[in-house]
Amino acid sequence: MTDSSTPRYGNRAAVLVLVVATLVVFLAVFITRFVETFPYTLTSEVASQPRVVLAGTGGTETVIHLETVGAISDAIDFPKPSDPHQDWVSYLPTTTFKVPANSVVTMVIDQEDSASGLRNPFWAKAQGIIGPFHMKYYDQNGNPQEGDFTQLDDASTPAHTFAIPDLGVFVPLLGISDAAPAGSINTITFSFRVGKAGTYHWQCFVPCGSGTIYGNGGPMQTLGYMGGFLVVQ
Amino acid sequence: MSEVTTGGTMLQPSVRRMALPTNALTGLVLGVLGYWAGVQIGNGLGFNDSGNTGVLAGYALGSIMFLVGIGFASYPLGRLFGWVTPSQPAYDEQKGVWRYLSLSFDHKVIGIQYLIVMLMAMLFGGIGAMFVRTNLLSPDTPIFPPDKYLTLVSMHSVLMIFVASAAIVGPFGNFFVPLMIGTNRMAFPRLEALSLWLVPPALVVMLLTPVFGGFQTGWTGYTPLSEQGGQGFDSYIVGFTLIGIALVVSGVNMLTTVITLRAPGMTWTRMPIFVWGVFSASILGTFAAPVLAAALSMQALDRTMNTSFYVSSNGGSPYLWQNLFWIFGHPEVYIFILPAFGIVMELIPHFARKPLWGYRTAVVGLLGVTLLSWFVWQHHLFVSGIAPALRPFYMLSTEMISIPTGIVFLVAFGTLWRSRISMTVPMLFCLGFLYNFLIGGISGVFLSDVPSDITLHGSYFSMAHFHFTIVGGEIFAIVAAIYYWFPKMTGRMLNATAGKIHFWWMFISFNLAFTPLFAAGILDMPRRVSTYAPSLQGLNDWVTIWAYVLFASMLFFAGIVIWGWFFNSKLAVADPWHARSIEWELPTPLPRRNFTRIPTFTRPPYDYGEGDARPLIEPNAEPAPA
Amino acid sequence: MAWAVLSVIGVVVALQVNMPPGNQTQQASDESSLLHLMLILSTPVCIGVVLFILYSVFAFRAAPGKLDDGPSRRGNLRMQWAWVVATAVIVFALAGIGINGLANSSAATTFASSGASLGSQTVGTSASDRLQVQVIAQQWYFTYRYPSYGGAESTHLVLPVNANIEFHVTSTDVIHSFWAYELGVKADANPGVDNITYVTTTSTGSFTVRCAELCGIWHGNMFDTEGKVVSQGDFATWVANLQSSESSITLPPYAPQYFPSPRVKGT
Repeated sequence: MTDSSTPRYGNRAAVLVLVVATLVVFLAVFITRFVETFPYTLTSEVASQPRVVLAGTGGTETVIHLETVGAISDAIDFPKPSDPHQDWVSYLPTTTFKVPANSVVTMVIDQEDSASGLRNPFWAKAQGIIGPFHMKYYDQNGNPQEGDFTQLDDASTPAHTFAIPDLGVFVPLLGISDAAPAGSINTITFSFRVGKAGTYHWQCFVPCGSGTIYGNGGPMQTLGYMGGFLVVQ
Repeated sequence: MSEVTTGGTMLQPSVRRMALPTNALTGLVLGVLGYWAGVQIGNGLGFNDSGNTGVLAGYALGSIMFLVGIGFASYPLGRLFGWVTPSQPAYDEQKGVWRYLSLSFDHKVIGIQYLIVMLMAMLFGGIGAMFVRTNLLSPDTPIFPPDKYLTLVSMHSVLMIFVASAAIVGPFGNFFVPLMIGTNRMAFPRLEALSLWLVPPALVVMLLTPVFGGFQTGWTGYTPLSEQGGQGFDSYIVGFTLIGIALVVSGVNMLTTVITLRAPGMTWTRMPIFVWGVFSASILGTFAAPVLAAALSMQALDRTMNTSFYVSSNGGSPYLWQNLFWIFGHPEVYIFILPAFGIVMELIPHFARKPLWGYRTAVVGLLGVTLLSWFVWQHHLFVSGIAPALRPFYMLSTEMISIPTGIVFLVAFGTLWRSRISMTVPMLFCLGFLYNFLIGGISGVFLSDVPSDITLHGSYFSMAHFHFTIVGGEIFAIVAAIYYWFPKMTGRMLNATAGKIHFWWMFISFNLAFTPLFAAGILDMPRRVSTYAPSLQGLNDWVTIWAYVLFASMLFFAGIVIWGWFFNSKLAVADPWHARSIEWELPTPLPRRNFTRIPTFTRPPYDYGEGDARPLIEPNAEPAPA
Repeated sequence: MAWAVLSVIGVVVALQVNMPPGNQTQQASDESSLLHLMLILSTPVCIGVVLFILYSVFAFRAAPGKLDDGPSRRGNLRMQWAWVVATAVIVFALAGIGINGLANSSAATTFASSGASLGSQTVGTSASDRLQVQVIAQQWYFTYRYPSYGGAESTHLVLPVNANIEFHVTSTDVIHSFWAYELGVKADANPGVDNITYVTTTSTGSFTVRCAELCGIWHGNMFDTEGKVVSQGDFATWVANLQSSESSITLPPYAPQYFPSPRVKGT
């Protein structure tokens, strides 16, 4: 540039336009990588058969139905062939939920993953839920069982937990027993109360991101797999 | 690469030479090919490593092939095959824009190339900051998913660290140090070019990280969190390694140039203070960056070959990374600020029209910071639990570093006293630097005392502290340098009125944006959070709005530079500031060869008020050696 | 002169400022007063520098359009020494105060015994007047164990008032940092490390615990606003309830640190 005394505007403008165009394309790619990555929001449905007696609270009871899988490609209830990480462990169909404020939320979770075990056995005890949690499951001999529980006695049996730390909700989800037939589902049902509006994060406390050190990489560190938001409105 | 051989017109008919042009485009093509080949090779090794080897090898080979495509291999390859290859790229064959998109060994071209690369990197880093601030508009409702938010935080920090570590020594060091010490070139022009062309691959690698899921460790890359990260973190390893190599290469080159290529009469005590600033930063770069490269290679081994340097359950230690990183990291922040000190102390005498007051003290101050900066790194680890018995030592050494730093203020004040100040745009930015760095420096003392650091460590207070020193300090110095040296670098002036508007715009919005962050930190807001206490929302929204205004001021500045460079038909005179410094005694535009004869320096710099206007240099009678 | 007046005003204003983190513990009070002291000391310095710059800019402004040089003064050795000595005195004084505060902050013990211990430290045998609390950081929540109460584990931190507390901070995965803001305590949680730090609680109230070291996707959500300092009696009741509610679950034996199994790196 320094050697020309009379500026050639045409040339310079062309260079400038080229540079700006490159930058804009780059920025567009850059921005879309960041903005379009929220999982879609699932609104809880009003419970047709109330599970919790809501005497005097005036609140409603809504239900969220989820599935947990060891690999997205194995999903039974909510297949998600478009997901780029078919081999990742995940909650399905999404991890952002919307529930009404001052209500009771009942979670029905179809748990299809095998056990990974808790690093901190403390989480084997359910906390913050209304009453015990209900489980339809396969015992270690592969027989179907059903019952109400307040904790899992063996900390190595959970596959995942469902935890909303800000609401004090921590529930262990029993892993599929090795003896159970292929394609078995443990169904865990529990209810908790939500209060005022806000956005609360929820996550899993089992280090289930296999292949990553301390098990908390990959799906554990990416929104939309083993953690998400509970939006209370 | 495929070489086409033809008989050169200027050469003997029997001699073959390479005729394939090498420039940024061929570099890009070969870089992409190299990346592809690297991925194939890395994945082909079949390590049990989540594909990290492939990505690492791809980045590494891609970067190397980019350098080959730029033309770094032409000379050695040509010699290998017996072709006559010019040891200098054909400077005069390339006109206009292509000169700046090709390999050049001219320190002036490299300076301008560096400036452009750095401004682009700053743009991306700044956009990252805007995204981060946008997310913080609400205390709990995220705009970006939290993992992407942390990727943005990390990319902003790493890109800005890249910028901060090279944005003074790169553009202004390369351009002006040879001029100031009276030589035609750097000691190692090839290394100089290498230090430049390592930066674009580092930036591209860093900008590619979102494609691989990003990384969520911030610029510190603490293990084991970094080892949990996916292939996105490989960008950090390769990008930082490339920048580290660039720092070493440029440091060695600068040191050798300053030590060996000073013109006759340019004694150590006659060197302009800016050269001292670059010199001391180069000492740090040369010796600190290898520590980082070593530490990063251990991270790479942990990720690819399942070694356990940093995995405590297998006998390694996360403390190892923390120590190695900060042994590099603390000298690194003085790599940022020492040349900025140099710029401010260089510019103030010219606009105060008074010699630099206490020149020798200033040099002692710069070298004192250089020395002390090696003994303070554990102040980043006061709460980590490492060696509590050593805390008093690191507290003392950290606070001692404010003594040589204070000398900068002493020298600036001594120079301003009874001077003749002209409030030009560069001078405004220098004075802005003094205020911002005062706040940044004093907040640093708050952080250096262990008991207060227990509250402030890792909070927004420390974040505000280093933004005051780096943005308010270094970036203000860079902007001052651009306004000051732009006429010499491009032959065109920047608009002074627009510059003054830019100064007030930037200075006010910077201070309004960053001062409240001290309060946020002191009120319990940790760094790098995507959510925060609802009570701090007002503070954060205020900061976000002023951050937008600050970003707009930088876009305005970009407009000033682009307009002044490309659309301003008015040419600059050789010495628009009437500054008594050697670079302004040379013609504008500078000839290819700076000095037809190597000059002899007769006087110290900044000889204002000494009665006569003799030139600083005497042209020597005999022709300069090539 | 203007400097003296403004400095006095500045210091008076600075004296009114309440510096966090408050006085819930001895350590927090020390930190508050040190921050306050530094604020007071730095106020005149800042005012002096700003005034000097403003004064220079107005008093020594060159006449417009006139290009003359200032006096050719290249330094004054006595002045330079005075400056260096003055800054050195301030700096060493501050360092002295800091070291003194550091020595006091570890209360009954010497500061050398705080900090990390790797492995062999025996827990549960230290001075009986100190309540040991283990802080276990995990991605992304803090839990707390009370070794003197059978290793009972809690999701909220509850402490008795007027007690010497000995925190043992450790992590089961990546590096976290335990920051109980109102308690004036911050200590990194490293996997495989038992990082020891002390506080002495002096008044009841609630406090917030945050993670102050980037630990991954939910770092920003890793906080708990329900920490409490309660009376000795309330604490005894609370901890007894905690113990009985946990009688059914089997927690691992209390240990200074829990080495996480790294699982496989790579797949």
